[in-house]
Amino acid sequence: MEYAWDFSQVFANRALLWQGLQNTLILGFTCLVLGLFFGLFVGAARFSGKGWLYYPATAFVEVFRNTPVLVQIIWFFFAFPIIAPFRIDAFTAAALGLTLNTVAFSSEIYRAGLQSIAKGQWEAGKALGMSYWEQMRRIVLPQAIRRMLPAFMNRAVELFKMTSLASVIAYGELMHKAKVVSTIAFNPIEMYTAVALIFFAVLFPMTIVVRRFEKRNDVGS
Amino acid sequence: MQCPPTLFPTKARAMGYEWDFAIVFRDFDLLILGLINTLKVTGLALLFGVPLGLILALLRLYGAWPIRIPVGLVIEFLRTTPPIAQLFWFFFALPILIGVEIDPFRAAVLTFSLQSSAFFAEVFRAGIQSIDSGQWEASKAIGMNRNETLRRVILPQAVKRMIPAFLERAIELMKTTTLVSTISYADLLYQANNIAQTTFRTIEVYTVAATMYFIVMFACSIAVRRLEKRLARSGETVVN
Repeated sequence: MEYAWDFSQVFANRALLWQGLQNTLILGFTCLVLGLFFGLFVGAARFSGKGWLYYPATAFVEVFRNTPVLVQIIWFFFAFPIIAPFRIDAFTAAALGLTLNTVAFSSEIYRAGLQSIAKGQWEAGKALGMSYWEQMRRIVLPQAIRRMLPAFMNRAVELFKMTSLASVIAYGELMHKAKVVSTIAFNPIEMYTAVALIFFAVLFPMTIVVRRFEKRNDVGS
Repeated sequence: MQCPPTLFPTKARAMGYEWDFAIVFRDFDLLILGLINTLKVTGLALLFGVPLGLILALLRLYGAWPIRIPVGLVIEFLRTTPPIAQLFWFFFALPILIGVEIDPFRAAVLTFSLQSSAFFAEVFRAGIQSIDSGQWEASKAIGMNRNETLRRVILPQAVKRMIPAFLERAIELMKTTTLVSTISYADLLYQANNIAQTTFRTIEVYTVAATMYFIVMFACSIAVRRLEKRLARSGETVVN
């Protein structure tokens, strides 16, 4: 352990790392917003109990939950462009893979959340003359979302960790920038340590918030 | 190069592309070899990760504060940093630090053992904490000390509750091991990359590889769900 640690190169490249962190956050938030939005529909399709909705949605969820996300990203980057009608760059491929993955996982959270709401709530809404979507929007979802919040935040932490996989297809996020710098400056130790610390600094507060929420929900129920 | 005949037609035109799976199936043994390597890394990481996870959980739960706090920090650190950063650290950085060369296989086993041990520690902790405190008191009443109570009363009950969470974690672990392809360990994804580069049949190769992953993991998921239902019927609640 006689290695002389030298973080000066990390510090000298802070602009590049900052750019990488921004790209990480852009990719993460894009996938989170799109994933949570479309996840609701897939979750509702699985919850609806109608066969023509249930089976395709279930097949989609199972495929994306049971294949590694790295394989999904690589598939969208190297394989999909061959049959895709439009050009696909690293960001699009990573966003596609991670979004669909998030859709699959969040749809399961929506489904579990919807199932946890007592049937009487639906019936009461119906008795007031509400349509299915009105019951969903005004009665069930507001209650369900509060229960789903910790699970969603856990998913978000996982998602931000997964964005680092986009470095494999050379999307310029934090991990990729670190790789580039470390090959030029020959400082993989400091560089990768710095990346791990940055991720920890961003995500650890999030996990603490999740735990607070979980505790509060426990007390509430 | 002549392709061996296959039982079913392997060529078809769809979506403006001439699909040809024969080339992929010619190298199918390489993919199988890759899958075996994937399972090997997963298995070894489980073998080391689970006992280490138990030790970390016990230290975090019952250690004195100078032990409990650093252990908790290590667990949180391993859980909230991306596995690829950890893998690169152990593969590229650690060898410089200790002056010993580490091959991709060892780096992978080391990384995933440590990474999964942090997750297993949390499963163990949740499982142990889910056991009613009356069990502790009852054991104390019949003269058992803490270690005996843990070993003979608490853990046997806790482990049963943890089984589904464990298996889910193991599937997650298998997914994460695809990262080893980035440090050139010959797992399934690495083999697929190689075949794709030499045959230019990118879409077929990656689709077949993804299907292989899916088959293995879907089978595991179904088994886990069955087990979960059976445990739920026998009155054991599931701990996450």
